[in-house]
This record gives sequence, C-alpha cells and structure tokens, in this order.
Amino acid sequence: MRRVALADEALRAPVNVTWEITKACNLSCRHCLSATLRSQGRDELGLARCREIVDDLAAADVFQINFGGGEPFLRADFLDILDYAHGHGITTCVSTNGTMLHDGLVARLAAMDGLYLQVSLDGAVPETNDAIRGAGTFGRIVAGVECLRSHGVEEYSVNMVVTRVNAGEVGEFAALAARLGAKARLSRFRPSGAGCESWDDYRLTRTQLRELSAFLGEHTSILTGDSFFSLTPEGRRRLGLTMCGAARMTMAIAPDGGLYPCAFLTDPAFRAGDATHVSPVAVFRDSDVFARLRASDNATCSACSRFSLCHGGCPAVAYFVTRSLDAGDPECLVAALGESA
Amino acid sequence: MTTRSIIGTDAGLSVRYLVPGAVRVRREDFGLLFYDSRSTHLTFVRCGESLAVGPGAPSEERELLFARPCHPAVARLLDALQAKGLLRASRCTG
Repeated sequence: MRRVALADEALRAPVNVTWEITKACNLSCRHCLSATLRSQGRDELGLARCREIVDDLAAADVFQINFGGGEPFLRADFLDILDYAHGHGITTCVSTNGTMLHDGLVARLAAMDGLYLQVSLDGAVPETNDAIRGAGTFGRIVAGVECLRSHGVEEYSVNMVVTRVNAGEVGEFAALAARLGAKARLSRFRPSGAGCESWDDYRLTRTQLRELSAFLGEHTSILTGDSFFSLTPEGRRRLGLTMCGAARMTMAIAPDGGLYPCAFLTDPAFRAGDATHVSPVAVFRDSDVFARLRASDNATCSACSRFSLCHGGCPAVAYFVTRSLDAGDPECLVAALGESA
Repeated sequence: MTTRSIIGTDAGLSVRYLVPGAVRVRREDFGLLFYDSRSTHLTFVRCGESLAVGPGAPSEERELLFARPCHPAVARLLDALQAKGLLRASRCTG
C-alpha cells in the first residue's frame, strides 16, 4: 500500500473541470486566453443543460469546478449554477476580473460555502495593470477586492499573469495582495487566444524566467495553480504537480459546450466533443483526443535530468509555439535558460 | 470487500478513522484519491479495495472502512494521512 504518482494512473473522471461559462466580458485584456472562443458565434449552454452537466460531474465525483469566462458574473443565471454545484458537494473557484464585485453580489457570495474567488490583477501599480486590462481597471479591481474583505469573504486570491511588463513587480504584487487580505497567485502567460498576438510582446525573457524561478523558490506561500512546473525550483518541489494535468486530471468546457483537454488547448485540433449532447465525463474517459494527449511521452525531453520535475512542461505552450506536442516546453529552465541537462 | 470501521485495540480502546468534511475521497482503480478542498492538494493511495469511505454527504465527516485487520503498512499509511489532515482518529471503547 503506497501513495502513487499521477503519471502512473488513468483516472476515471477529472479531478477538476475548467468551465468557461460565458463569452460575455466587459474588458478586452491583451492576453485573454478565451478571446478566440469569445469571438465565435455559437450559442452558450443554457441553464437546464448546465445543470445536467453539473449532475454528470457530481455523479463522477468531480471535486472542483473552476469557472471562468468571459466574466462569469455577467451571466444572469450564474449564481444559480454556483448554488446548484455547491448543492451537489462540488467545490467551486470563480475567476473574475473583479469589476462586478459590488455590495449586493458580494453579500450573496459571502454566504456561500465551498466557493473560492480569484480576482485578476496584472500589476502592482495602475500603469502596469491598465496597459494590459484597460484604462481605469486597477482602481475598480482593487475596490472589488476590498469589497470582498469588507463582507468577510474568507477565501480569495488576486492573480497576476506574469508577463514581460509586470515580471519586475512580483514582489510588490505579493505585498499588495497581503495589504488587500488576499492570497497572492501568479500564473503563466501562454500563447492561447489573444495571447497568440501578444506573445512576442509579453513572453518572459530568459533572465526574467530565471528570476521568476528563483522568486518562486524563495516565496513558497505564493500560489501558482501549478502553472510553473516547467520552472520548478528546489524550494517548490513538493508543493504541486510535476506534470501537465490536461486530459489526465482536468478538462475544459467552452461557453458553447466544446470539450477540450485544457482551457489553454482550445484549438480545433483538440476539440474532443460537444457538451450540448454528450457527457463531459464520458469524453474524458473515451475520447481519442484525450487518449492521444495522455499517451504522448515527450521523447524530446525524456532524457533530461529535470524530466521528473516537469515531464516536458506545458503542451499548450509547446503546441502553439512549435505546432508539435513532442517539442517540449520552450520556456523550461534547461531549454530556454541554457542550463545543462 | 470492506466490512469494518474500527481497527486496533490499545488498552481497551478502539480507533475509528474519520474523513473530515473538507476532504473529498473517491474510488479509483488503484485505490483511493483524496482531495483536500482547503489546499486543493491531491493524495493518491494505492490500496485496491482494502480501504473505502462510508456513506454520507460529501460535505459531512465520513468513516474510513477496512477490509481486514490492521497491518503495519496500513498503520503507517493512516499516520501519514492524519499528518496531512486527511483523516482524524477518534478513540472509543468497545
């Protein structure tokens, strides 16, 4: 009897599901991963079908749904969907841009059990954040976070997508989060959605990648959502995943019901099904797209001394940069930073 | 098949192991998968069908069930799961 590694096992259902619940958004962030999906004309899933999908996930003991968008709180029936998920014992995390967090809404959120909120903020100062998320957004986002605190919401974080223009502010960002009573979370910029167009402007330099890896090793209380396992430093070895969870422990549902291995792999090549009429859990178990991703062994990286720490890194970054899943993550400590393997 | 929820006797005390409400558990082919909703950490436990979680709502404290009497390997596992906050030991008579 022993604890086992994720890499060794195929799960019968996802551990968590990322669900882009709406296309609607009141911001136009330069790195939005969902920009491509939002521009498509397909209808969003209706409330009745959303409830059936929650039923499907609950029956398979999916532990958590991570709701995103678009801006989830722009969807009129979103609180009904949240309540329905909580009623089935599913923990939820909502990724929000924070601009909708006013007293009336936050009072309702504060009364919910099993809800985590993640507020996006892309800089420690207005100039940096607003250049990415839009003029005036820094003040609106901070006001939203302060509203969470004033209502006694216990579980919330502020999340910064680390880019070339804000990487130098990660320390100040962590301090700002602490002042706001929030956990600090850093996540990775990927060339998905609008990130394809801003990739060359925003991708981290080699020096920034090296500095970020060191910073994360020294600040283990900062959350990363397992974004940075390709950069995993010694100090974080035991804190999170050592490989991509796409198709292995997670999957994504697009606003129109499209089913993908990950919210960052929403290219048509990875569309594995349509939740308007099929079970997401069945697609997780049986789809060829998911099976292919699970079977990829990343031969390019398998001889690397860091392979056990990252298993080739993020396939989404590899795919969108090289159009191959076998190329390995181009932003890992070895390949991008010139360290010896 | 799992049949009992109480294991071990020590000076007349038996131990019942409980899964806190914040911890979710589900069966997989390899055994049990624990999920701590407070940290979102996962723990994979290869135990086949020798362990199971008793009935109850996901948010309620539930009992861990055992297929056979306590083995040293099981005891070590239970200690490790307690240390991670995934189980709580409740001592009782009988």
